[in-house]
Amino acid sequence: MTVRIIDVREKIMARNDEMAAVVRRRLLHTGVTAFNLVSSPGSGKTSLLERTLDALQSDIPIGIIAGDVQTQNDADRLAVYTNRLVHAVVTGGACHLDARQVQEALGALDLNTIQLVFIENVGNLVCPASWDLGETAKVVVFSVTEGEDKPLKYPKMFRMARYAIINKIDLLPHVPFDIDLAENYARSINPGLRFFRTSALTGEGLDEWFDFLRASVGEQCST
Amino acid sequence: MHELSVALEVCRIAEAQVGSDTVAQVVTVALDVGDDAGVEVSNLQFCLEALLGEPPFSNAQPVIHLCRGDVLRLAYLEVDDDRPDN
Repeated sequence: MTVRIIDVREKIMARNDEMAAVVRRRLLHTGVTAFNLVSSPGSGKTSLLERTLDALQSDIPIGIIAGDVQTQNDADRLAVYTNRLVHAVVTGGACHLDARQVQEALGALDLNTIQLVFIENVGNLVCPASWDLGETAKVVVFSVTEGEDKPLKYPKMFRMARYAIINKIDLLPHVPFDIDLAENYARSINPGLRFFRTSALTGEGLDEWFDFLRASVGEQCST
Repeated sequence: MHELSVALEVCRIAEAQVGSDTVAQVVTVALDVGDDAGVEVSNLQFCLEALLGEPPFSNAQPVIHLCRGDVLRLAYLEVDDDRPDN
């Protein structure tokens, strides 16, 4: 038996990272800002995007890439609020979106007529943290029904995100959730996180989110 | 869950490294996996064993070296040139 060793040392995510770089260059070239919304299932990403489209789509041309494991339900919900294409990506069981899927989805959106893209990732606080999609920034969404220690349980996601939305704050009187403690936990993981406290149901806190998005249009990719 | 995606990519890289004619002679596929790589190691091991046991591979063995950080890479391959190409 003659065994030879081939030294490889190749990053397993290298091909995804190359595609993410292509996406990033494309966004940069067209001046489009893209936010990758990541969360556990049921945190309110789709509701948040419904409210966002309803409030901003007349001022800012917004494109949506809606990822889901098995249905187009979220894309159908969002399509009610915009005349633009809502591009559904059904992963067929996969737990995350990858850069190739986003690259293909951007091909379906007319980037020359869009200033802002939301990528609604698959509901999962683990896997999407490992996949660079070429986005401008990740926005991690978690809700007050999930427990304030989510950042400690899923540190990589909170480390990779630039923004954090604590949603469903209308439920704060009814659940034992210490919102300041939640933010402190998240800051212990990522001191640079910027927070938004929102209720997609009542609209509380959304004005700050909308103002942030207006100011973010045209932001170039730096992550 | 994305361990299967990772394992498929490992197989793609390995085949690209040795070429499709030689891939059946690969006996070991060694990975470095960091503790912050977002990968469940036993799940990845399971996926690799399943894929490396099937053509175009011929029962190659995955070896996972645990390390610190978010490292996730194919470290090296061992190829037995005398192994029959079935």
